[in-house]
Amino acid sequence: MLLLDIKNLTIELETPDGLIRAVDRVSLSLREGETRGLVGESGSGKSLVAKAIVGVLNRRWRITADRFSWMGQDMLQVSAEQRRKIIGRDIAMIYQEPSRSLDPTALVGEQLEEAIPTSLLDGYWWQKPFLRKKKAIALLHKVGIRDHQNIMQSYPYQLSEGICQKVMIAMAIAKNPKLLIADEPTTALESTTQAQLFRLLASFNQLKGMAILLISHELESVARYTQNLSVLYCGQLVESGDTTAILKHPFHPYTHALIKSVPEFQPDLLPKSPLYALPGSIPTLQHLPIGCRLGPRCPNARKECVKTPNLERLQNHYYSCHFPLLKRDES
Amino acid sequence: MSILLEVSGLGKNYYKQRGITRKKVTALNNVSFRLHSGKTLAIVGETGSGKSTLAKLLVGIEKPDSGIIKLSGEQVDISNYKKYNHVIRFIFQDAGRSLNPLQKVGQMLEDVLRFSTILDAEQRRVKIRKTLKQLGLLDEHAEYYPHMFSGGQLQRVALARALILDPKLLILDEALTALDPSLRAQIVNLLLELQQQDGLAYLLITNNLQLVRHISDEMLVLYQGQAADSGLTAEVFANPQHDYTKKLINSAL
Repeated sequence: MLLLDIKNLTIELETPDGLIRAVDRVSLSLREGETRGLVGESGSGKSLVAKAIVGVLNRRWRITADRFSWMGQDMLQVSAEQRRKIIGRDIAMIYQEPSRSLDPTALVGEQLEEAIPTSLLDGYWWQKPFLRKKKAIALLHKVGIRDHQNIMQSYPYQLSEGICQKVMIAMAIAKNPKLLIADEPTTALESTTQAQLFRLLASFNQLKGMAILLISHELESVARYTQNLSVLYCGQLVESGDTTAILKHPFHPYTHALIKSVPEFQPDLLPKSPLYALPGSIPTLQHLPIGCRLGPRCPNARKECVKTPNLERLQNHYYSCHFPLLKRDES
Repeated sequence: MSILLEVSGLGKNYYKQRGITRKKVTALNNVSFRLHSGKTLAIVGETGSGKSTLAKLLVGIEKPDSGIIKLSGEQVDISNYKKYNHVIRFIFQDAGRSLNPLQKVGQMLEDVLRFSTILDAEQRRVKIRKTLKQLGLLDEHAEYYPHMFSGGQLQRVALARALILDPKLLILDEALTALDPSLRAQIVNLLLELQQQDGLAYLLITNNLQLVRHISDEMLVLYQGQAADSGLTAEVFANPQHDYTKKLINSAL
């Protein structure tokens, strides 16, 4: 069953110089128990998409979509209050810098207990505080923190970034969400802790059937832990489909460049040889090119590229490019 | 190939005040390595393993408690940074935050030359122009403020500030980690090109093992202030000795 179904999501920012289209017609769908990676460089709008899903963008952003449904319910029709209730029940999100997202003035234990919804505790009201504490400890154990006594009694600044992120995950899974959105969960962490966290997320996905939307700018880690992949560039969806299929044969020049720029996917590359890189840099939001936004940097750009390409489909593989890399002559 | 930098038995302790007694924290203990000119040495380790302490000791921000640092065979007092900042330059993790937002890029580069060289105004101008060109920036970029650059260009500006004194060794403290993949590829290419042209040596401090494998000749794994593994990169990857190195390499592959 489709959990989340978004078609042509557009997010615009109102500025004195007019509307800036930060996210341009992005489609995204998630089935139950699916893990999907959302990859893009900084400024590609991947965090915006996530924030639009959970509805935490402020009023300066204008969000429109052709279709935006959560478990068959159209989220654009329901009232803001209703929407908040549904999302609060079903979707959880973890943020980039855990030590900054936790409340620095409260103990970790208090924050964790607060995140557990009362409806999940069955017992009489006088038992609830006790049950709540028990549940909090169980949650900490679940994310792999054994020393719950000390952790519950600490403030966020006393803990390492990795532990903070685990606490954030514990808070996120406290309400048994159907979808967990992880927005760059590992940028602040070291490589050994990173692997631990990804394994943790993967185990929740397998054991509880929790769908995971993993947002990151690092293709290699996302590719290892997800089934499906969506690639964003400058707010446009360039390619989406099965992860292994995309890695094996990308259709869009941007995905192709992204894969080739990571040494991990190029086992035959000699050490110290130059990496493949697109010229130029990511345009700023004020100076977006018209049409396909990769245009000025694209090696295969032609005249037609000033028109925005439509999302085309080849089996289960979506891409938006006028001149896809369909032949298997490169690489 | 000449040995550019030779470090032997380097150690550094920090002290924490505990009432009237002091608690000793060993940040770095008996670390030795050699770096040839034109080569890259990668230093890998978890936080608190002494990577950054080592970098600070090499540029003279901190003084070592024990050990010898030799530059091209001569023992030096590295904390005399006025004398040695020509040779060893440092690049920080976040280029955007390590540049002064109130200063134009040209002015910043000019300051570096004014404080550390004996060039006159005209020579400085020529030198700045040459360095900007070397890094793929334009002359008019000298009139820009840091916020007018994009992320990749900022990293180039930071590189320009480091390279303008024609150093022999560049220390990159997580300088490539925060960049986006395509930008990182660009900067890596630039660094490799500079190494081939000018025989620059790099000391790369990073967590990204794929990158280490690609661009470094030798690597040194630090664990709790001690050298856990060292040697040629390919050998360390193929045959790690220390348990921590094994764990690290397994987690990345």
